[in-house]
Amino acid sequence: MSDSRQRTPDGPEGPRPILTVRPLEGCGGVRAAGEVGLGTHMIWERVLEQAVRGGETVYYLELSEVTFVDVAGAGALVAAAERLGDGRRFVVRRPPPGLRRVLEMLWPDQPGVEVSTT
Amino acid sequence: MTTSAGPVTTAHDPFVHPALFYRDEQEYLDGTVSFVREGLAAGEPVAVAVPGERLRLIGDALGGDAAHVRLLDMREAGRNPGRIIPGVLRAFADSHPAGQRVRIIGEPIWAGRTETEYPACVQHEALINAAFRGRAVTILCPYDAVRLPGPVLDDAYATHPTVIPAGSRAVRDSAAYAPDAVVSRYNEPLPPVADAMTFPFVAESLTAARHAATDEGRRLGLTGVTLEDLALATAELTTNSVLHGGGSGVLRIWAEDGHVLCDVRDGGRLTDPLAGRRPAAGGRRGGRGLLLVNLIADLVRVHTGDDGTTIRCWFPRRRP
Repeated sequence: MSDSRQRTPDGPEGPRPILTVRPLEGCGGVRAAGEVGLGTHMIWERVLEQAVRGGETVYYLELSEVTFVDVAGAGALVAAAERLGDGRRFVVRRPPPGLRRVLEMLWPDQPGVEVSTT
Repeated sequence: MTTSAGPVTTAHDPFVHPALFYRDEQEYLDGTVSFVREGLAAGEPVAVAVPGERLRLIGDALGGDAAHVRLLDMREAGRNPGRIIPGVLRAFADSHPAGQRVRIIGEPIWAGRTETEYPACVQHEALINAAFRGRAVTILCPYDAVRLPGPVLDDAYATHPTVIPAGSRAVRDSAAYAPDAVVSRYNEPLPPVADAMTFPFVAESLTAARHAATDEGRRLGLTGVTLEDLALATAELTTNSVLHGGGSGVLRIWAEDGHVLCDVRDGGRLTDPLAGRRPAAGGRRGGRGLLLVNLIADLVRVHTGDDGTTIRCWFPRRRP
């Protein structure tokens, strides 16, 4: 996967949302940094789409540098996980605490999304 | 009462929603325990969601049968009335096969609900009818006829198609049934705010709005999960304003008694009264932001009209 970056200079409204994504070394997946919200949903959904189309049994999302994921971002993850099928799953590593909270409240017991704190 | 699966009309709606008025503990137990036992005898799944002390009364009276009943403390599960439909009633009803009648006791309005909570409580009672129209579900709502104020008891006749008067076993039609009018009447302007952190936002400043809310929430004493919840609620409400409320809005954060309040106002109009009250699973993709806010906040109040929409939510400064 190629580097996918989108950054706009800070405007008068304050910091613009960014989400940068780069491939993980040694296993299938990506390391993301920034936040998942209205301004970055397209980047996030593109990552998830590539994961669904790829063949990995386990697709890692390393999120230790992601500060926030909104409900639509969590919903996109769940929707992508439901399309994985055949025992495949996402492993979400070190997500921001709000993502775990949203998954617990809205989509508990999702077999396709495993949250790992290590 | 028919449970036919034919065309749904008001007259043949399989949804049953009586208010049960009680004056004392004995009348409470007479009405609720018989309702539970009838359900168990008919092989229906049964849940009881009432305030904790009354839950213990019902549980004790049921004895061994209590093990076959889902028991929930409504003070916790239904602290925010806006989450009772998705988080309690539909969560239980939807966990059983369609067509299998389920039976629930739900007591969302108890003596001690505040004036601030009450409009959300009574709107919830009215919206149950729309949420369950056409479904084989029976929801019995007990009302304390001694300790609740008269206007609250009057409202119960407007939010329930049938009533069981105190001391009676007979179910009667309620001539005053008018749930839509209740939803409109309690669509009240929210109390004014004296002093708040105020942050106007547009699409480009959603991140800054969330950071401002988090900073102010922390300063006002929120920590841990509750501070995260404030950030989540702010993000969902401000994003909704940008997407559906005219593209911009105003966020305000302040403290009031034991809560930090988050209030988002925009120029849109909320036309779907069940927004935020449908479960996430299988539901439509939009509206889940408001559902999350309902699930995590202690209280959510909404005022919507031609002048715009305001959604206000309460987060506890310390979890009791």
